[in-house]
Amino acid sequence: MLQNELEYIRLLRERLEGTLPPEELEDILSDYREHFSVGKEKGRSEQELFVSLGAPDTVAREIKATHFIRKAENTHSWGNILRAVMATLGLGLFNLVFVVVPFIFLLVMLAFVFLVGVLFTALGPAAFIISVLQILGFWSLNLWLSPVAGIFFSTGITAVGLLLVIGDFYLARFFYHIGIRYLKWNIAVITGTEVEP
Amino acid sequence: MLCIQGDAMNIQFKKGVLEICVLSVLAHKDCYGYELVNEISKRIDIAEGTIYPLLRRLKDEGFVTTYLQESAEGPPRKYYRLTESGRKEEHELKDEWTRFTTSVNALLLGKNDAAE
Repeated sequence: MLQNELEYIRLLRERLEGTLPPEELEDILSDYREHFSVGKEKGRSEQELFVSLGAPDTVAREIKATHFIRKAENTHSWGNILRAVMATLGLGLFNLVFVVVPFIFLLVMLAFVFLVGVLFTALGPAAFIISVLQILGFWSLNLWLSPVAGIFFSTGITAVGLLLVIGDFYLARFFYHIGIRYLKWNIAVITGTEVEP
Repeated sequence: MLCIQGDAMNIQFKKGVLEICVLSVLAHKDCYGYELVNEISKRIDIAEGTIYPLLRRLKDEGFVTTYLQESAEGPPRKYYRLTESGRKEEHELKDEWTRFTTSVNALLLGKNDAAE
C-alpha cells in the first residue's frame, strides 16, 4: 500500500463517503490535507505523516462514531440512535454486551408495556359497554359481580391502559436520553474523548 | 467498562486525557491544527489523526472557534482558539484532574509505606 497523502485521503473518503454529508466530509478531509501540507513544509515525508496520523480505519471509525452520536442528540429518531449504536460497536467488539443487550432488552420491555396498554385500552371500553348493556338489561351474561362493579372495573382498566400507553412514550423518551448518555460514556471510555451532554 | 490488560490499559489512559490536554494547550495560545497535534504527540504517543475529530467536536460544543490566518510558508492555516466557555471547561477539567490524581497518588504512596 502506498503511504502518501493522496492514499490517506482516499482511504478516509472511502470509509466516510455516503455516511457523512458531503459538506462535512470535505471539511474533515481538508483538515487532514492541511496536516500533510504543513507537515511537508516542516520537512517531513508523506509516509512519515501517514504513519503518525494513524490507521485510516481507526481514524475513520472515530469520526463516524462522533458524527452519529451528535446527530442522535440533535434529532431524536430511532434511526439515529440505531446508527449511533452501530457506530459505537464499530469501536470495540466487547461493547456488544454492554450496548446491544441492554438496548434489545429495553426495546422488548417498551414494546411489552405498549402492547399491554393497548390491550387494556381496547378491552376497557368494551367491558364498559357490556356493563352498560347489562344495566339496561340487554345483556344477560354475568361476567362479574355486578354491572356497577363492571362499570368501575372497565373504567379502571381503560384508565390503566391509557396510562400505560402514554407512560410508555415518556418512558421511551426518557430511555432515549439515557441511551444517548450511555453511548457517549461508552465512546468516552473507548476513544478517550468527552461529548458534552 | 471491562478492564483491559497491559498496553491497552495505557492507551485508555492516554485517550482519557486527550480533551483536557487539547484545551490546556489552547489555553496558553491559539494553535493551528498541525501545531496542536505536534504539541500533544510530543508528550503522548497516540494516533494523531484522532485529534482532528476531537477538535471538530470541541468546536461544535462551543469550546473552541476557528479562524484562517495567512502563512509565510504556504497556504493559509486554520487556527483554533479557546472560547469563554472553553476556558471555563478547561478550568473545571483541570480541577477534576488535580483532585483525581492527588487522590490516586495518595493511595499509591500510602500503599508503598505499608509495603516497607
